[in-house]
Amino acid sequence: MTDTDATLSDALARIATAPDADALRAIEREFVGKDGVVASMLGAIPTLPPAERKGAGQSANQLKQAVLAAIGERESALEGAALEDERKGEGFDASLPPPRIDRGSLHPVVQVTRELEDLFTSMGYLVLDGPEVELDHYNFEKLNIPADHPARDTQDTFYCDSPGSKATLLLRTHTSPVQVRAMERLEPPFRAVVPGKVFRQESTDASHEHTFHQMEGLVIDRNVSVGHLIGAMKTLLRGIFKKDIEVRLRPGYFPFVEPGFELDARCPFCTDGCSVCKKTTWIELLPCGLVHPNVLKAGGLDPEEWGGFAFGLGLSRLVMLRYGIDDVRHLLGGDLRFLEQF
Amino acid sequence: MFVSYRWLARHVDLEGITPEQLGNDLTLSTCEVEGIEPFAPHLSAVTVGHVLERAPHPDADKLGVCKVDIGDGEPLQIVCGAPNVGPGQRVAVATIGTVLPGDVKIKKGKLRGVASNGMICSVRELDLGDEHDGIWVLPEPNGEPLAVGQPVGEALGMGDWVIEIDNKSLTHRPDLWGHRGIAREVAAIYERKLKPLDLSLPNLGGTPAFPVKVDDAACSRYLGLGIDGVQNGQSPDWMRQLLLAVGQRPIDLFVDLSNFVMLDLGQPNHAFDRTALDGGGIAVRKAKAGETMTTLDGIERDLETSDLLITSGDEPVALAGIMGGEESKVQGGTSKLLLECAAFDATTVRRTSSRLALRTDSSARFEKSLDPTLPEKAAAHFARLLSEIQPGVSFPMILSDEGSWTDPATAIHVRGDVVRRDLGVTLADDAIAAILDRLELHTTPKDGGYEVAIPSARATKDLTMERDLVEEVGRIHRYGSVPEAPLMGAVLPPAFDRRRAVVRALEDRLSGAARFHQVMGYSFQSDDLLAAVNGDKGDFVTARNPVAPEMAKIRREVLPSVLGLLESARRQRSEVMIFEVGKGYRPEEAGEDGLPREVHQLVVAIARAKVSGENGAFNEGAFFRMRAVIDDVVRAAGVTVPCWSPHENQLHAALHPVKQVMGQWTADGVPAGVMGDLDPEVRARLGLVGELDSDVAVAVLDIDALLGAPEAPRTYTPLPKFPSVKVDVACVAPDDLPASTLAQAITQAGKGSVADIELFDVFRGESLGEGKKSLAYHVVLQSANKTLTDKDAAKFLSRLERTLESTGAALRS
Repeated sequence: MTDTDATLSDALARIATAPDADALRAIEREFVGKDGVVASMLGAIPTLPPAERKGAGQSANQLKQAVLAAIGERESALEGAALEDERKGEGFDASLPPPRIDRGSLHPVVQVTRELEDLFTSMGYLVLDGPEVELDHYNFEKLNIPADHPARDTQDTFYCDSPGSKATLLLRTHTSPVQVRAMERLEPPFRAVVPGKVFRQESTDASHEHTFHQMEGLVIDRNVSVGHLIGAMKTLLRGIFKKDIEVRLRPGYFPFVEPGFELDARCPFCTDGCSVCKKTTWIELLPCGLVHPNVLKAGGLDPEEWGGFAFGLGLSRLVMLRYGIDDVRHLLGGDLRFLEQF
Repeated sequence: MFVSYRWLARHVDLEGITPEQLGNDLTLSTCEVEGIEPFAPHLSAVTVGHVLERAPHPDADKLGVCKVDIGDGEPLQIVCGAPNVGPGQRVAVATIGTVLPGDVKIKKGKLRGVASNGMICSVRELDLGDEHDGIWVLPEPNGEPLAVGQPVGEALGMGDWVIEIDNKSLTHRPDLWGHRGIAREVAAIYERKLKPLDLSLPNLGGTPAFPVKVDDAACSRYLGLGIDGVQNGQSPDWMRQLLLAVGQRPIDLFVDLSNFVMLDLGQPNHAFDRTALDGGGIAVRKAKAGETMTTLDGIERDLETSDLLITSGDEPVALAGIMGGEESKVQGGTSKLLLECAAFDATTVRRTSSRLALRTDSSARFEKSLDPTLPEKAAAHFARLLSEIQPGVSFPMILSDEGSWTDPATAIHVRGDVVRRDLGVTLADDAIAAILDRLELHTTPKDGGYEVAIPSARATKDLTMERDLVEEVGRIHRYGSVPEAPLMGAVLPPAFDRRRAVVRALEDRLSGAARFHQVMGYSFQSDDLLAAVNGDKGDFVTARNPVAPEMAKIRREVLPSVLGLLESARRQRSEVMIFEVGKGYRPEEAGEDGLPREVHQLVVAIARAKVSGENGAFNEGAFFRMRAVIDDVVRAAGVTVPCWSPHENQLHAALHPVKQVMGQWTADGVPAGVMGDLDPEVRARLGLVGELDSDVAVAVLDIDALLGAPEAPRTYTPLPKFPSVKVDVACVAPDDLPASTLAQAITQAGKGSVADIELFDVFRGESLGEGKKSLAYHVVLQSANKTLTDKDAAKFLSRLERTLESTGAALRS
C-alpha cells in the first residue's frame, strides 16, 4: 500500500462518518484545499526524480477526484437523510390551536345595505341620501299626511328644536321624505333607493328600537302599474334570499301610496310554519304601493303623465332575518362580541 | 278591533265560509286580520249537568253536597258553596282535569272531609261576566231544559269565532268600525247580499224636542232622541254573548245597548238620564280657560279651550266624542233617557284625546271622520232594538237635530283605461263596474267611463279621487291576480357616486386590512357622556320628546358615541379597534330651509391595554398605530394623504393637548381632521384606567373635506432598472428636534436619490450625553440612470453631514 492509498482510505473513512456538511467542508479543506494534502503532494513534485513526477501528479489528481466524489456522495446521502428525518415530522401535533388572527368587520347593516345597493344599481337605480333631521313638511305634509291625520301619531315622532330655526323639525320617521326630494331634484323617469337611519319615539325591547334602518325605493316613469311593482319586488326578494320567493300583496294603508300594500313573502325559513313567520308561512316584509297622485303633485310632477311605485324595506329587520338575530338592540349596541360575528 | 263571526252573520249569510277562510279573504281584500280565535274555548270544556239533589254538608253550614247527572252513568258528587244551587237546575260542570280560565285545573278533592268530583261554575269562573254570588244557572233558549251531557257552548249556541283586525289597517276606513261595515265588505268579496236592516226611526211623539244648542262648528250635528218608559236591567243573553265575544263586558241594558249600537254600526252614542239633565237643555261648546271636568273613569281633567264639551246647565256632562262625565252616569232608577248621536270634528276629538292620552272606542271612531248621516241611523237602531227588548218604551218627543252639516256623498268619474293602466290588468269596463257595484259604489256610464256614486259612509276621507277607485277595483279583483310585469325603459348605470365610493373604500380598508370593527351608533348622546368626554360645547338640536330627559341632545359630532363604547368593549377585549361613519348636526350652520347642517364624519378609535414599563419600539403606541392606519385608509380611498402636524392649541377638548396632530393638505387649508391620544382626564372619566388602563388614540376625519381634497388615484411607477444601495444612518440630535427635520435633511442630502427612509431605532442614553437622542435610519438610494456605488453612498453621507449642521444634529460616528 502506498502512502497515497493510505491517505485515500483515511479520507474515505472520515468522509463516510462525517456527520454534516460542515465536517465535509473541513475534510475537503484538509485534503483538497489550498494548503491541503493534495496541494502539498503537488508542491512536492518538483523535488521528485523526473521519472516519478508524472506518476505522482496523477496519483495526487486521482486522490483529489476520489475525495471530491466521496464528499459529493456523502453530501447527497446526508441531505437525503435530513429530508427523511424532516418527513418523519416527529413531535408534530396538528391539534394544537392555531394563533389567533383578529380581524375587523363591516357592520351587518352596512353589509346588507351594500348588497341591496349593488343589486339596485345593477338595475339602474340611483342611491340617494337625505337629511336625518328633516322638515315636517317633507316627512309628512308632502307625503299626503297633513297635520292631525290619524296616521301621524305624535307619540311616534321625535319633534326637534334647533336653535335659530323656525322650521318644524323632526327626526325622520321613515326614508320616504326622500321621495319628494328626489322628484324635485331629478328629471323623470328615474329609479332610486335611499338607505338610511330613521327614528321612532317608542320604548325599546327585543323587537322595538327607537333608531333603525330602512331602504326606500322609488320608481317614477310613465305607465307604471301594480304588475311592475310585483315584478320589481320579486326581483328584489330573489336578490335577498338567492331563490325565487312567492309573494302576495294585500291592502295596506299608507297615505303616500294609493293603492297601498303590505307585501308578504312566503317564509324562506320553513314550509309549514315556524317562529319567524309565527306559524303562518308568510312574513310581512315590506310596505309598498303606487305613488299617491298628491305626492307626485307635491314633487312637481303631473299625475296624469307620470306615475310610479315606492317601497320601504326594513333593513334592520332584514338583517335580523338574514342572520337570525333575536334582539334588535344588538344592532346599535356596539358590543364587540356581536360585531365580531360578521 | 274584534269582530265576531256570529255577529257578522246577523248582517250577511256566512253559509259555507269558515272563519279561517273569512279571515284570509278579509286580509287579501280589505284589512289585516291578526288572528282568529274560538270564543271562550272553555265553554266547550264544561258540560251541561242536571242537579239531582242538594244535601247539607255534615260539617259546614254553607256547603251543600250535590249529586249532578252529566249524562254518563253514575251522577257526580260535587261539594258546592253557592247559595243558589238547587235540584232541577241545568248547570255548567267542570269535571276532573278540566282547565278553566286563569289556568285553574279542576282536581279531585275533599271539602271538609266530603269527596268532591268536579265544580259547578259561576259566570265569573267562566270569564263571562262579573257575577259570582252564585253558580250560573243555564238559561233555556228554546224554552226547555238543555240536554244533559253536551258541552255548554254548543248547547247554548254560543260557539263563535273572534277575528282580530289590526286597527292601523282601518285608519282610512271610518265605515269599517262596526260589524255592518265589515259585513258590507264580506258581501262584496263573496258576492252576497247584505241582509236588510231597518234603520228608520220608529214613530215619535209630538212633545217639543229636548232643547239642544250647538255653539261650535266642531259639532256638525247633534241628535237627541227622548226615550220614556225604559227600565234598566240585564241585557238579553244574545246581546251579552256577542258583546263578550268582542271583549266587551256586559254591564247593564243601557250601557250594553249603547255599546252594541256602536259596535254594530260604528257610531258612538251616549245615553243620558234625562231627569238629571238641566231643563234648559244640552249645549255643545268649547271648554273655557281653566275649566275642569271629571270623566267617567273618575279622573279630573284640566281642559283647554280647544276641547269640545257637552254641557247641561253650563256644566260639562261629557267630553265630546271621547268619554262621558262622571256625573252623567245613568242611575238605575230612571225611566227617561236622552240618547245622543252626534257628529264631531275628527281633528278636535283627536287633539283632545291625544293630549289627555285618553283613547276610547268612541274617540278612535270619531278621529277617522265619521259619516254625518250615521247618527240618525244609529238612533233608529238603538230605538228599534230597545223596543224589541222592552216593547213598552216610547219616544214621546220630536227628535232634536241641531248643527250645520252637509252630506258628503259625491260622485267620482273613473276611466277603464286608467284602472287597467294602474293595476296592470286586462279587466273589461263592465267587469270594473260590476266590482264597484258590489261595493255599493254604484256606476253609471258616462264620458267613456263611469260616474261612480260615493255614499256618505265612504266619502268623508276615504274615496276622493279616481285613484281611490282603482284601489277598490284592485283589492276586490285581488292583487294576486295581477300578472307580474318587468319594468321597461332604458337602464343606464347611475352616475359615479364618489361619496359612496370613498366611504366604502374607507370602510373596507378599516374593516379589512386594518382589522377594525364597524359600529353604528345612536344619534342621541346623553348629557353624562357629553360631560365625560368634553364634547363639543356648541348648540344642539334637541328632541322635544326624548326617550329619557337626559337623552334629548342630538349629536353634533360622532366622537362621543364611539368613546362611549370603549369601556365595555375593553372589558371584553384587551385590544379594541372600532370605527363609525356617521352624521352630526350643527344648528349654527342651518340652511335657508332651517335644517341644521349635517356633518359627515369618520371616527376611529384604538384602545388597548397599557403594557407596564418600556414597551419595545418607539412607535408602538396607539397614537402611531393610528397615524399609520389613517394614512393607509385615506390612500386606499384614493385621496391624497394630508400632512399631519402638531398644533399649539388643543384641537379637541377630548384630546391630549400635546399628543395630537391636525391633518391638512396645504398650510392654512381645510382641515382633514384631527387625531391624537385621549386627554388623561377624559380617559379616566371613561373608566379606561385602573384594571382597564388603556393606551387610547382616536381620529376624526371629515368626509366632506376628503371629498374636496386632491384625488390620488393609484398610479404605476416603472420598476428600477438598476440596483439600489442601502445605507444605515444614525443621527445624534437634541432631544426636542422633531424627527421630521432629520427626515427632511436625509431627503435633501439624497438629491432626489432617496427612495425610502425607515426609522428603525430611537435611543437615549448616557453615552450620548444629557438632552440627546439618537435616531437610526435605513436609507435606500436609487438612481433611474445608473448603478449606485459605495462612492455614491459616501458622497451622500458627507452631504448629509453638512446638511445636519444647521439642525443641531450630527452623524453618529
